[in-house]
Formats: sequence, structure tokens, C-alpha cells
Amino acid sequence: MDDHLVGVLCNIGIISFVALSAYVLLLAGEVSFGQQAFFAMGAYAAGMATAVLRWPLAPALLVGALIGALTAAIVGRATLRLTGLYFAMATLAFAEMLRIAFELFVWQVDVDGSLVGPKGTDGFGDIRYLFENEITPAQYMAGVYVLLALVLAGFAAIDRSRFGRMLRQAGADPLLAELQGVSVVRVRLVAAAAAGALAGLGGGLYAHLLTYVEPGNFNIMLGVHSLAYGLIGGLGTVLGPVLGVLIDIGLLESSRLFEGYRMIVFGGLVAVLLIVRPRGLLDERAVHWISSCVKGLAGALAARRLDRSLRRR
Amino acid sequence: MIDLIQNTLDGAMIGSSYALLALGFTLIFGTMRRLNLAYGPTIMAGAYLGTYAALRLGIGAVPVALLVVAGAALAGLYVERLCFRPFGEGAAITSMISSFAVWMQIEEAATLVLPQHLNAFPPLVAGAPITLGPFFFRLDHLLMLVVAAAAAALVHGVLHHTRFGLGVRTVIDHKRAAELVGVPVMRTLTLAFVLACAIGGLAGFLIAASEAQITPMFGMWATTKGLIAMMLGGLGSLPGAIVGGLALGVIEAHAQWLFGPLVRDLIAWGLLFAVLAFFPGGLLGAREAGQAAALQRRV
Repeated sequence: MDDHLVGVLCNIGIISFVALSAYVLLLAGEVSFGQQAFFAMGAYAAGMATAVLRWPLAPALLVGALIGALTAAIVGRATLRLTGLYFAMATLAFAEMLRIAFELFVWQVDVDGSLVGPKGTDGFGDIRYLFENEITPAQYMAGVYVLLALVLAGFAAIDRSRFGRMLRQAGADPLLAELQGVSVVRVRLVAAAAAGALAGLGGGLYAHLLTYVEPGNFNIMLGVHSLAYGLIGGLGTVLGPVLGVLIDIGLLESSRLFEGYRMIVFGGLVAVLLIVRPRGLLDERAVHWISSCVKGLAGALAARRLDRSLRRR
Repeated sequence: MIDLIQNTLDGAMIGSSYALLALGFTLIFGTMRRLNLAYGPTIMAGAYLGTYAALRLGIGAVPVALLVVAGAALAGLYVERLCFRPFGEGAAITSMISSFAVWMQIEEAATLVLPQHLNAFPPLVAGAPITLGPFFFRLDHLLMLVVAAAAAALVHGVLHHTRFGLGVRTVIDHKRAAELVGVPVMRTLTLAFVLACAIGGLAGFLIAASEAQITPMFGMWATTKGLIAMMLGGLGSLPGAIVGGLALGVIEAHAQWLFGPLVRDLIAWGLLFAVLAFFPGGLLGAREAGQAAALQRRV
């Protein structure tokens, strides 16, 4: 694979994490404009862990995810009793505060004769772990996709669990859920922390891929994009947000098909798509249809196999 | 002490344009119960039209102002048709995301029309500031205050003394009831939306003229400032929008003077976060939030 393709695929995988993070909260019935904040937390924490503290990559990513989860839980405690627009605005306000705080944050340390660390608006460069440890882009991409596959498998497992049902219940009708004994605030708090962890993990991966991040990377654009991916791709399945990222970054940004007026095309596409399919391409009905098709196909295959084996006898 | 008063006065004058921004925003939210993220970019579309005309045709401030307002109203109609009209009740998130998509469209279209990052915008008035004792007032800021106050009074008059205004207020109070008593809800919604964008356009013109420049960041700037001012005052409250805008202007002026622009923005967002976390109703919107909370408790 050539380097451009690897880069694009890496990007798709990483942005999927923050899109999934927004999707978790959508499932819980909350709209967040601020998942980029935890993405930024993860990026800075993991980047500082490898570049300044000289940690290996895996614990650095873990710390990024944990810090993302912790921050999300703290912010969630203050904001999760808000709903709808109020919650969306509170998350946005927090994310913008954090972005500006990173613009003011300077922590440079002498590592092997050069200053390394976040430097306010100038950003945080020299996160050179991949380069120093001779990890090729293709290897890194494989790692990103293994993690993404694990996360998706985790989603599938949670979807079938009691907690998954509680989550969807809290999202679909909080009042009814409360009456049935689901503590909506607690479920949402767990969801927010999980979403923070996902975004933090993605942020750590992002910082190491780019080797340079700056506060401007984590502005409202990223937040609303990650929310939009779920709505474009579809809210019916966990693959929806990934599909959304694939369409935007994979198809439109990377193909350079509409260079110069990509946003006009993409924006119009999204607006029209939302009129035609308000819950995205893979909405609940589409997922149901696909799964019944698959089941039907599997059933037909099984029947044929049975038929053949019976005939053989 | 003199600095304190001077900053407060400056802040109030700039805040008057924030108040106007928030007024338009609130009018959309109040009638639609949805957030129009493309509000700022809509204004920017008008402002870019005005800039383009000023650069190519060399027209003066007043025709530019009319163009900006007309452009914003037209762009608003586009947003309403594409992002709000097609969706029924309960699709607030969909409208929000859709308006964001249009935001990106407008932003890119603006940079295609005027590719430079920074464009000169015709200033409203040139002249030495008026001095009054130890204080001085920039002419364009004074004019901003006067125009904003006049516009707010006009909006108040339209809302309270015309049939259309009565319809708008009825829709804000209860859409279904408005329908039942014969208010043409759809038409009222569209007109209120366009009116709101025109108000925003006027605010955008005043701001761009006093800065004498415009960049593609203006759309995001107007959306965020309008949002903060609106939420500070209380979501859906028209007097709240005015109070919120003025308060934001004054606070920003002091913060800028004391700590510089970065911390100024940090304080503005921090204030919004604190208001939401502790007084979700905002300064003047407590009635509605309180009602919702009371309803929840009763259930």
C-alpha cells in the first residue's frame, strides 16, 4: 500500500473513535458538541507520556483513555442533569474552555538536549515515538484497526447486555426508563465516561500519528463533525458512525474529487440526506432489513445444505 | 476607576450588537424550538455580499448595510427551506446537524467569492472620538448603540403591535394552540426566521463596519457570540437576549483589558458553562426552566 492510502486509512480509523464517542451519548439520549475535548485530553496526555516522560506507547494510550474518561465523568456530573440543547451547549462551552486552556498551557522539558512539550498556541510537536521505535505506518494502521475492532466487538457485546438495554431505554424515553427503575443519570454518567475513554484513546492515537498537535485541531468543527458522522452513517448500528467517517474522509476529502468546493458538495449532500433519511443511512429499519436478509440467506443456505445431505442419503 | 467606567461603557456599546445578534437567535429558537447553527454563517453570507459589492462597485455604507441585511435574509430563507421546513416536530438534532452542513457550504462559498483571508469592510463613520470629560466614545460604537437600540425597539413594536407579531408570540407560547386559533403557523415561522436573519445581518454589518474588516471566521464568531449571549440571558427569552448581550459585552471588555483576548474568551465560555451548570434558566429565562423542572418533579 502506498503511504497516502495508509495515512487516509489511519485517519479514518482514528476519527472513528471520536465519532463513536459522540454516538455513545446519542444512544443515551444526549447530544454532545464537546467530545473533541476528551480527544484533546487524550492527545496531550498520551503525547506528553511518550515524548516528555519517555513512556512506551501502550501505557501512554491507556493513560490518555483514562484521563479522557475521568474528565468526562467529572464534566458529566456537573452537566448530565441538563438535557437537550442545554447539555449540548454545556459540553461545547467546556470543550472551548479546554481548547483555550491548551492555548495557554506551556510545559516544556529538556529531553536529550531539546525542549519538548506543549507550547501554548504554537502547539505540541516532536511526538516522535513511532519514528524513534521504527514503527512503520502500516504497522501503526494495523494497531489502530485492531483497537477499533476490539471497540466494535465491545459495542456488540454491550448491545446484548442488560446495560445496553438500559442505555437505549434511557435514550428512547428517560421518563419511562426512570419509572421502570433505571437510574437515567447514572446510566448516562457511565455512558459519558465510556465516551470520554473512547475519545481519549482516539486522541492518543491521533497525536502519535501526526507527531504534532495544536489546540486549533480540537475546535468546534471536530465536535460537530463527529456528531454528524453518526447521523449520516446511521443511528441503527455501531457501524453507522464508521460509515459516516468513511464517506467524509475516505470518499470526499481523500479522493480530491471536488477539490475547492468539497464542503459545498458535502454540506449539500448531508442536508439532503438528512431530509431523505433523518436517522442516517444505516437507520434501524435498514439494519433490520439487512439482518433479516442475512438471516434469510443463511436460512436458505442451511436449507439447501440440509436438502443436499438428505438427498445424498 | 476611570478605566473601569470607560471599559464598562465600551463593553455596553459593543454588547449592544451582541444583544442584536442574540435577539435574532432567540427569535429563531423561540419559534422553532431548534438551534440554527448556520445563523452566524447566514450573516456572513450577507456580509460577504456587501463586501463584494463595496469592493467591485465602491458603494457607500448605507447601500452596503441594505445589501448585508438582504443577503442575510435570503441566506436565511435557504437555511429554513433546507434545514428546518422539511423536518417535523422532534427532529431538533437533525435540524441542528443539517444547519451545520449548510454552515460549511456557506463558509466555503464565501472563500470562493473572496479568496483572501482578510477583506476590508467599508467603515460606517470616520472621525475623531467624542470626548466627554475623562471618557471618550468612538463614533461608530455610539452609532452601533443607537442603531441596535432602534432596531430592538422596532422588533419590540412589531412583536407587540402587529398581527404578525401577535402570531409570533402565540407560536412561541404554544404552537399547537396557535394553530387552533387560526394563526398561519408555517408562514409565521418562515417570516420570523427570515426576520431573525435580517436582524442578525444588521448586527453583523455593525460589527464588521466597526472592525473595518471581515474574515471567513466571522460565521463561527457570530454563532458562538450569539449563542453565549442568548444562553446567558435565558433560552427563548427576548428581553433576556438583550440583557445577555449587554452583559457579555461588558464582561468581555473588562476581561480583555485585564487579561488579554485569550483569557477573555476563556472567561466568556467559563461563564456560559457556570450558568448552565448552576442556573440552567439563564438570567431571565428562569420561568420556563422552572416550569419544566416543576413538571418533572410532579411526574
